[in-house]
Amino acid sequence: MSRHSGRVYRLAYGITRNQADAEEIVQDVFLTLVRKGAGFEGHAALTSWMYRVTTNVALNKRRGKRRELEVSLEEHLPTYSEDGHRAGDRSYVLADWSSTPEQAHLSAEARKILENAIDGLPDHYRAVLILRDVEELSNEEVAAILDDSLGSVKSRLHRARMVVREQLTRHLGTRS
Amino acid sequence: MTCKDAIAIMADYLESALSPELVEKLEEHLHDCAPCRAYLATYRKTKSLAADAGRVEMPEEMKTRLRELLLAQLRERR
Repeated sequence: MSRHSGRVYRLAYGITRNQADAEEIVQDVFLTLVRKGAGFEGHAALTSWMYRVTTNVALNKRRGKRRELEVSLEEHLPTYSEDGHRAGDRSYVLADWSSTPEQAHLSAEARKILENAIDGLPDHYRAVLILRDVEELSNEEVAAILDDSLGSVKSRLHRARMVVREQLTRHLGTRS
Repeated sequence: MTCKDAIAIMADYLESALSPELVEKLEEHLHDCAPCRAYLATYRKTKSLAADAGRVEMPEEMKTRLRELLLAQLRERR
């Protein structure tokens, strides 16, 4: 149970960004599971059910909340000149903070920027990011969980990563 | 290939989901384009930092409360 509850909590917290909401979701999911009894054919079916129910309940719980924190995606996507090449200040587009000392990435300030960037994603974008990059599910599995198209999942994942990357670059890129 | 084309296919590139022809075109572009090399490196790093940040543990007291709740539920059903 511990492995499953940890997974459900991680996903619920990842989407709602709220400990109390995540706890409530874990309890709801497991109470439903107890009531359903052993109605699953194998471990994969159980895991798949847990991901689907947790994601949907978390997205419902989040609906309408904290919209004021959401960032404008367009403001955080790369910009291009008419010929399709990167536009913007040369030192900014060349900023590569990926190999700066690990401590810089994990500093409290950088961690806060990262958390805020993830928190500010629209809910469905954050859900895709968590399911793909934290839970390491495939695009196909995420599309099935969200009842969405493969194209939409791939597009949201890419845009979510770009938006988070942009905010990290604005913070860390000036230091490299 | 332009920077816009290159950035659009970086997620597929990292997942080895591109055709050999597209990989060749992208790598040619990366060879000549320092901004896109920086973009790819930071995009890849962002993916791993976001994954690390998301690996939160369920607090012990929550595990205890869950266990007690489920035990009570099971006792009720008997």
